[in-house]
Amino acid sequence: MSRTPTVAKLIDTTTCIGCKACEVACQEWNDHEFTMSGLGGDYQTQPDLTDSFWNLIKFNEESRDDGQLSWLMAKYQCMHCLDPGCVRACPAPGAIVILDNGIVDFNQDNCIGCGYCITGCPFDVPRLSPQTNKVYKCTLCSDRTVVGLEPACIKACPTNCLTFGTRNDLLEQAESRAQELQADGVTQAGVYNPSGVGGTNVIYVLAQADRPEAYGLPRDPRISWAVWFWKGPLKWLGNVVLLGGVLGTLLHYLRYGPRRYQDVRD
Amino acid sequence: MSEIEDKIDRFSFVERVTHWLAALSFLYAALTGLSLWSHRLYWLAPVFGGGETVQAWHPWGGLLFALTLGYMFRNWAGQMRLDREDRRWLRQAHRYAAHDDSGLPEAGRFNAGQKVLFWVQSVTTLLLLGSGVILWWPHSMTQGLRLTAILVHPVMAIVSIGAIIVHIYMGTAAIPEAFRGMTQGWVRSGWAAAHHPKWFREISKR
Repeated sequence: MSRTPTVAKLIDTTTCIGCKACEVACQEWNDHEFTMSGLGGDYQTQPDLTDSFWNLIKFNEESRDDGQLSWLMAKYQCMHCLDPGCVRACPAPGAIVILDNGIVDFNQDNCIGCGYCITGCPFDVPRLSPQTNKVYKCTLCSDRTVVGLEPACIKACPTNCLTFGTRNDLLEQAESRAQELQADGVTQAGVYNPSGVGGTNVIYVLAQADRPEAYGLPRDPRISWAVWFWKGPLKWLGNVVLLGGVLGTLLHYLRYGPRRYQDVRD
Repeated sequence: MSEIEDKIDRFSFVERVTHWLAALSFLYAALTGLSLWSHRLYWLAPVFGGGETVQAWHPWGGLLFALTLGYMFRNWAGQMRLDREDRRWLRQAHRYAAHDDSGLPEAGRFNAGQKVLFWVQSVTTLLLLGSGVILWWPHSMTQGLRLTAILVHPVMAIVSIGAIIVHIYMGTAAIPEAFRGMTQGWVRSGWAAAHHPKWFREISKR
């Protein structure tokens, strides 16, 4: 139906140098306050995403079998799922919208601050602001893409490990990059585009695609069955009970009427 | 019997205040809760001041109901024990519904149906309170707790609201004069003898 192509972001972790330019660009474009970096003795600026820090390079240091150290860096932000758990869970119409181009965007004007999207998200991305009592996350720069600009993080990336484009193009590009890496001897290289959430519009090329956890990515993210049951069968069950209760009592009244004295014994 | 002797105290002032505080807070919590239950019911949210207001005040309405019910529990739990007779009554409840009371055990101050409502509300309210606290502060809870709460809260609400629909029907349209017992506090002796004969005999002896 839609003539607007679905847009996506490709993150090639094998060419990311962990410079954090994307983090700074995100903070600048979205006009977020300067946040002091933690001094945790590693190469991660913040411990976690916050309501005003939407894009974090996760850092993981591992010692390899050959005794060398391996530094894994992966940009972490909203994955813009094709089947977003946050949308399923949200009770406020219009608070979370899926744009024509596939971007999952929060509209804070309609957000009521219940936090159900936090429960619905399999990636633990939305953050509730204690100040505004609204939820925030990466918008994939919907305010830039709408006028034909690429997202701020991608604009700032110096190694071109971030690419913006249509989903179909980037999936192809990701596959061919993974094959190239495999041909170069990175045998475990692969694409991260988890099917449990219908695929994601943020696509990764991982050098160790067999171990996404090492990059801070869930192995097989899925919308929890609890969320599915809550918004599916349980909703119908509830409607049946409530409507049935009202209609049932009405029918009972029409059939039997009120209890009268003579109805009671003797 | 004279007009004055005919009036029997059914519910005390304290019982009535407790009941109506519970009724109002329940109605508020139920309607605001339903507004967030389905997008199709979201039109209820503006009725109660908008989504943000509902989100902010629904928990307080629920808490008030839970506290009121706790007080009600303290006052009534002793009178609500289900005995053998009650269990026999419940097995014949379909007859009671059809107004055929032959072979139905006589009811005391509360019949077995009212007692069941009391226990249903006690259990669901406890679970609604527990899961409600989790939903109130989602960011301080683990994902496992949140996922449990999003199931427990609506399931208990459905059971509780379903039971209350029947309760409201019984207290208004289905049993004439019962409503006055909970508003003005009295019933006629004939009514008491017909609907709660065991209770009527007990208070007549005094």
